[in-house]
Amino acid sequence: MNRALFRAMFKQHRKKIAAISTGIFLYEGLLTWVYPVVAKNPAVAQVAESIPSAVKTVFGVPENARTDTFEAFISGQFFSRIWVMLMAFHGIQTANALLAKMIDDCSLALLLSTPVSRGEILSTQAGVLVSSGAVLVAVTIGGLFFGTSRFGIPINHGNYILLGILGLALFTLIELYSLFFSAWLVEEERAVTYAAGLTLLFYSLDIAGGLSDKYSWLRNLSLFRWYQPQSILEGTTNPTGPIIGLNVCSAVLWYYAKRVFERQDLAI
Amino acid sequence: MPESRWSEKSTQYLEIQVLKEEVLLRKSEEMIEVKELNKLYSEGRGVRNLNFQVDAGKAFGFLGPNGAGKTTTIRLLMGFLKPDSGRVTINEIDCWKEKAEVKKIISYLPGELHFMESLTALDFLDLIARMHGNKRQIKRNRDYLASALELDLKILIRKMSKGMKQKLGIIAALMLDKKVLIFDEPTSGLDPLMQKVFIDLILGEKKRGKTLFMSSHQFVEIDRTCEHVGIIREGELLTIQSISQLRDAEHQTFEIEVEKEEELEFLKQRQLNLVNIQEKSCMIRVTGEMDKLWLALTQVHVISFRQRSLELEEAFMDFYR
Repeated sequence: MNRALFRAMFKQHRKKIAAISTGIFLYEGLLTWVYPVVAKNPAVAQVAESIPSAVKTVFGVPENARTDTFEAFISGQFFSRIWVMLMAFHGIQTANALLAKMIDDCSLALLLSTPVSRGEILSTQAGVLVSSGAVLVAVTIGGLFFGTSRFGIPINHGNYILLGILGLALFTLIELYSLFFSAWLVEEERAVTYAAGLTLLFYSLDIAGGLSDKYSWLRNLSLFRWYQPQSILEGTTNPTGPIIGLNVCSAVLWYYAKRVFERQDLAI
Repeated sequence: MPESRWSEKSTQYLEIQVLKEEVLLRKSEEMIEVKELNKLYSEGRGVRNLNFQVDAGKAFGFLGPNGAGKTTTIRLLMGFLKPDSGRVTINEIDCWKEKAEVKKIISYLPGELHFMESLTALDFLDLIARMHGNKRQIKRNRDYLASALELDLKILIRKMSKGMKQKLGIIAALMLDKKVLIFDEPTSGLDPLMQKVFIDLILGEKKRGKTLFMSSHQFVEIDRTCEHVGIIREGELLTIQSISQLRDAEHQTFEIEVEKEEELEFLKQRQLNLVNIQEKSCMIRVTGEMDKLWLALTQVHVISFRQRSLELEEAFMDFYR
């Protein structure tokens, strides 16, 4: 990792990180402000329970899960879909900006003309990528702690931290396969298409698998199978296994991304 | 210690010194070496069987039309591309296998300059300096070059014009004070005044013993800075010539328009070297003395008379076509 490059790259992306962080923080503020009002209204719980299970699946609410808790509320409104999509989009876009775009527009040429090796430059870009993801995860969990404490909503902080760690592992894997596509294809448009296509495929498999028992096996092919926010927040699922599994996949991808990039022809 | 052992030791020492000097000499003789180099892209472009050397302290100009293979050669020198076959070395360091190591002695200016746009020029130069080890001398050189090229380093890069970005690229390359300079079309985007400043800076670098490899479309900068020039077309090196040899054989070319067709006939009969003959105009190439031309021209009615741009450039235009 090259410190000077890390600082310069982080500076390039800090405005975007600040904007997304602010958005997350405000949205969480809104949800935690609204929740006490919603919780007091029994009609809301009845409506939630009356929703068909297929629709619940689409919105990431597990079958037979409770709908009257804050965990159910925050999972359905934020963690199950919006957060995942936002973080996946950020990971794909940032990975692409840190590598494929810099190869495409030749701005990597001046960095690669220094005695810093390709491997070190890639490590630095990956460092920026993972750090920005970590900042967003920390803001998400921190923002929720702030909101719940501000509006007096009791939560189990440990479970939220576990969800943050699982989220970080999942988003790191998405970021690293996006970086791998950038290193392999060395072309912005194709790298984004492959990374976004794979993410959408995983997402679709997860939804399709949840719609009917007949297709439930499809969920086993999806990365999002390992990510069940409501059950983690309620403490009914231990995410340690998925966290380790996702990190192992990330390590393998990182090894191949580095290997491919070291040997890649770069027309810059 | 017995005398025979002393003598044996001193002979060994001398042999080692001679070997060391030979290695240094060899290193100093051929700074850049390209041997049987091939690199072809899938669409058929690239370079074929390139062979040339650039001695230490010398400057080599690389000329050729667009798409001839100049930038591909430079990318191979920079270790950005892997050769299909052949070898590229700088100071005996393999440019592909030891691509990070070779950058310790290279300053590079790419043909297409793109920077991290949200940084200021100063931030960018600091980044490059730090990635090169951040020596204090680099900052002194940076300030000197910024004042010579009249560039305000506090400006955001995304607000810079093409010429300003070119100046920034030149500063980034020259401030590092490396042994070998590899420049891809360095004056593209610079105004004539700054082109002259650039040539003066390069001549200064040469005086300090730098080796220069420069591709260009500007014949003037090659003519003024390089000892040798290579012409590449369609991926093949057509010729390598020394600029001094070319000067010996140089000729001048004039474009002349006369009033009547018969006057052109008259000029032909005066044993002048007429080329590109039109109805009432032609080009005349003169090598050596000009008397014969002046004498002939006094006897015709000249409508227009113009000297063609540069003689050496003229000599090389044939290779371009």
